[in-house]
Formats: sequence, C-alpha cells, structure tokens
Amino acid sequence: MRDLLRSGLLLVTGTAVLRVSLVSDICLRYVKPGMQPLLVATGFTLVAAGLLGVHRAEQAAAHRRAARQDPPPARDGHGHDHEHTPRVAWLLLLPALALLLFAPPALGSYTASRDTAAPVEEYEEFAPLPRQGAVPLTLTEFTARVRQDEERSLAGRTVVMQGFVTPRADGTWDLSRLLIACCAADARTLTVTVHGAAAPPADTWVRVTGAWHPGGTLGTAGAAVALDVTEVVPTPEPPLPYLDRAPEPDPAEDAGA
Amino acid sequence: MDGPDAVVDGRRPAADGLPNSGDLPNSGDLPDIDGLPDSGDVATAGGLSNPGDVPNSGDLPNSGDAPDADGLPDSDGLPDPGGSTPPRVRPLSGRAAVLVAGAVTLPLAALWALGGLSGRAFTTWQTVCVAVAVQALPFLVLGTLVSSAISAFVPPSVFSRALPRRPALAVPVASAAGVVLPGCECASVPVAKSLIGRGVPPAAAFAFLLSAPAVNPVVLMSTAVAFPGDPAMVAARLVASLAVSTGMGWLWLRLGRTEWLRPPARRPELPAGGGRWARFAAGFQHDFLHAGGFLVVGAMAAATFNVLVPRSVLGFFSDSPWASVLFLALLAVVLAVCSEADAFIAASLTGFSPTAKLAFMVVGPMVDLKLVALQAGAFGRAFALRFSLATGVVAVAASALTGWWLL
Repeated sequence: MRDLLRSGLLLVTGTAVLRVSLVSDICLRYVKPGMQPLLVATGFTLVAAGLLGVHRAEQAAAHRRAARQDPPPARDGHGHDHEHTPRVAWLLLLPALALLLFAPPALGSYTASRDTAAPVEEYEEFAPLPRQGAVPLTLTEFTARVRQDEERSLAGRTVVMQGFVTPRADGTWDLSRLLIACCAADARTLTVTVHGAAAPPADTWVRVTGAWHPGGTLGTAGAAVALDVTEVVPTPEPPLPYLDRAPEPDPAEDAGA
Repeated sequence: MDGPDAVVDGRRPAADGLPNSGDLPNSGDLPDIDGLPDSGDVATAGGLSNPGDVPNSGDLPNSGDAPDADGLPDSDGLPDPGGSTPPRVRPLSGRAAVLVAGAVTLPLAALWALGGLSGRAFTTWQTVCVAVAVQALPFLVLGTLVSSAISAFVPPSVFSRALPRRPALAVPVASAAGVVLPGCECASVPVAKSLIGRGVPPAAAFAFLLSAPAVNPVVLMSTAVAFPGDPAMVAARLVASLAVSTGMGWLWLRLGRTEWLRPPARRPELPAGGGRWARFAAGFQHDFLHAGGFLVVGAMAAATFNVLVPRSVLGFFSDSPWASVLFLALLAVVLAVCSEADAFIAASLTGFSPTAKLAFMVVGPMVDLKLVALQAGAFGRAFALRFSLATGVVAVAASALTGWWLL
C-alpha cells in the first residue's frame, strides 16, 4: 500500500512538471526558456519511475504472499525501508499541487518595487534609430541610450516600450521589467520612471509611448531613466514574461535590440 | 535513504522484533557499542572538538580503523546489502524537516495574517518557492539517476583503482574530477552520497561534492558571459573553488568524525530475482523522493528570505570591504541561487568589490539553504551543520585570498 502511495507521489510530481512544461508554457513564469526541454524530460522520467513503482509494488505483494508460506529468518527487518516512504518526501506535494491546481503567477510589481534597478550591459555602439516615427525599444536599450549614448540619439525622439506597472508610494509609477538568468529567484529589475499619466493598476502590462523626460544630462550616467508619456495602452501579458522585448509594431527592431 | 536517525536519539524501535539492546553483533546500535550513547547527538556533540572516541565504523569488519580514511560502514557498497546491514528506524529527519519548513513558513504566514505583508507578498513567495523547486528538479533527477547508476552498476573496485590509494592524494583528484558533472549543486549531493556508498573515502567524495557545482564547464562559461572581458574573475572562481574543495577534503581527513555521518541507508529491499536494473529503479525512486522533500524545505527557506529581504538593503553594506565580503557570502547562503545563474547576480551587484562578488560565487555553490537541506537529507543534520559552517568559513577565507591575489 505504501509503495503505491510512494509511486503515486512520483506520478503526481511528474504530472505536475509535465503540465507546466509540455501541456502549457506555464514553466516560463518560473524558469528560463532553455529549461523547458529539461523539464519535459524530468516529467517523463518521474512518471516512468512512478509507473515502474506501481509494477514493483505488485511484484512485492506477490513476494510477500509467497514469503508468508515460508517464514523468513529474524533479520527480515528488511522490508522495513521498503514499507516507509521517507516522510519528508510528502513535502513534494506542495509545489506539485500548486502547479497542478493554480500555478502561481509570474513575478511582478511586488518584486520590482523592492529591488533597485539593475545596471544594463555596456553597449559598444548604438545602431542608428529609424529616421522617423515612434521607435520601439526594449527597456534595456532605452536605459543604455539614456545613460551611455554620447550621440544622444534619443533627443527629441518618441519611443514605444512595453512592461508592467509598478506603482510608487508617492502616486507616480514605473514601467518595469524583470529579467532572470536561471529561475525567478534571481530576478533583476529594469525600471523606467513614468511622468504625465495616472498609474494603471499594479501589474498591468502596458505599452507606453513618450519621449525622454529631462533629468540630468542625456548620454551620461547621471541621466534620469524616465519618460514623459503621451499614450498608455494596456496589453496582454507576453508569453515570455522575463524576456525584455520591444513592443510588436516593428519586429525588426527586436532583433537589433 | 530512509533517514535512519538511530544515532541521533540513541534509541531504536524493535523493528525486527528483537529487544532494543544491541544484541545483534552487526546491528545498528553503534552508539551502544562504542560506549558513548549520545556520541552522534546533534544537540550535544558540539563543535569540532569531539572527544576522540572510536568512530562508529571501526567495529565493522571491512572498514579500516583509521578514523578518517574510509569512513563509512560498508553496507551500501556491497552489491547485495544482505544481512550485514542493520534494520533501520523510521526517519526522524523527515519530522525535523517538516518542523524546519514550518518554522520557516509560519513567521511568514503570521506576518501575512497580521497585515505586515500584502497578499502579493505571499503570491511572490509561492512563485519563488515553486521556481526554485522547478529549476532544481531536473538537476536533482540527473543527480539521482547518476547516483543510482553508480550504486547499481559500478563496482567499488572502479573507484579504488581510479583514485590514488592515499586519501590525502585522492582529495585533490576528486576535486578536479568535479569538472565532469555539468549541472548545479542539487545534482552533486546524491552523487557524492553514492560515491561514499561505493567505498570512495568520504573526504574525496566531499571534495567532489563541493567542487562539481562550481568548476564544471557550464558554470565557468556562464561566469565568463556574466563578466565579459574579465577572464581573471573566471580564473579566480576556478582557483578559489578548487582550493576550498580540496581544503575541506583535507580538513575532513584531519578533523572529520564518521559518527557525524548518518550511516548510509540501504536501498529498499527488492523482490526476489530483482536484478541490477530493478535495484537502479528502486534506488532512483527512493532517493529522488527523499532528496526532493529536502529540496522543498530548502526552496521554502530561500523563498522566505527572498521575499523578506529586499535587494535594496544591499547598498548599506557595500562600503566596507570586509563587511561587503561577509555580507555577499551570507547573501549567497540565503538566496540559494543556482550555481549556473549566480554569476549573473554577482555581476549585477554593482558597488561591491570584485572580491566580494567572488565570495558570492564561491560560497553559493557550496553552502546555501537548499544545499544544507539536501545534505541533511543525505548525510544527516549533525554532518550538514558542521560541514556547511566549516565550508563557509574556508570559502570566505579562500575568496579573500584569491581576490587579493588575482583580482
């Protein structure tokens, strides 16, 4: 019986992993996309181990029935480990059931509001912006152009960015993105302070259009990473919540970012 | 393993129907045999200055009498554990783990209930907890598969031939061998355990345990990517990690006591006729469940710190060079970030000295909450606490020295 419970635990855990990696892309709320194939393999391994365990339990039951006719020597304390699932193992049910039943959401404004903005990578050079129109940018590239671009390519330009809303205590809000290197425990925050629009509800994903909000000297490390927005449009949460992408309109810009 | 804490509380239920008096010559009543009933007790055996009593393994036929060299009782190393292995008791460690999980979770729940934390904080806690567990599961499965395969298919003679006979030499060799296990720290704990089961000296297995998550190619690559144009950081990480793992191996040879190690549990008994594959499957099932439970404990603890300690407190500690090294080392312990990702975190910790970042990357793969939980599951709490504490101290010292030398 306990063998069956133990195998059931493996089956539940494996099913939960497959549910978030194979059947859906929910696992992308927790880990980087590269982990997904590993998770699928993990799910299958666990399910297989569970099924094998069920099979083995039946064999063991038959074995015990046979042993009853032929009483074992005293050292048959043996079956002991066999009888007891390590009790701590039942804790696996917590994350497994969480994944199966409700699957916690991706990290959002709570994490962003408690973090300091992460520095962005050093850009060696900046590709020229399109000559006209609003420029779709990632938060990474916007931050880099504001703080590093000595050519001040953003001066007088309109940009479009996408992120989620992180309200501040003083009533203003930030456009935020979280980046992960491996899993959600290592999330880093990108932040653009928004001026000129009332805060939408926390964690709403939005596309904002606007121009650099003057503060400090553009193109230096002292420049404010901020935006005077003219338009805020709610958008659905992107499928890859931790991948800093520019908004859709101009896909070519994504690749350059 | 089934967490046989027979040593921990010094009593043993009469699982085999015999009175609990140590009348089986080879049974698990090791504390009785060496005359120190509580020698392995977590609560009472303090520090490294344990009296020099005869280690538990000394009375087992094929373990040498050198307290340090071959360490563990042999049971797991034999193809068929047979009758020489004592019956085990119910795992107390499981109960302890549940207690720890409760202790970690309850304050959070209480804070939440009192309105100290918003519902979003609790949601964030769930997400981080699930994320740590999901991220670690594939590596835990890999590690458990490798360890079960070692136990089922690789005869002990392979390791005794591959490793130098003298443990003092085997330690650096095992440390360097950590290069071959790509993955994060979750994979290395079950592998180290199975190595000990196969007769590898514990000191060498521990050197491997510490070095594998830190020096494998995947981790070194990600470090190089996280610190572009700074190869010294990669070199420093490699050097410091190898130094710590080797140093800890030697330290174990000198000061380690086998009674801190819980004797390896036997794999579940198989039905008659079960071959190597059946043993492999049973070992995997059992070991994965056990380690998985401890992984969840570690994930809960890490998530609690992740939610309770905002990253913005980092600024307070970056000014003093010594405080910053210690602080980042401590941060690595509580954040329990995967060793493949910690370089990116370290790189993002602006304002800290390179040496402090190095300490973060050297300590993280060797000591963190998740890892302590996994080690407690595999080797027992008495071991996990002492070993992690000592490793932390050695790792900080090695990082400081290496940072001063290379960075």
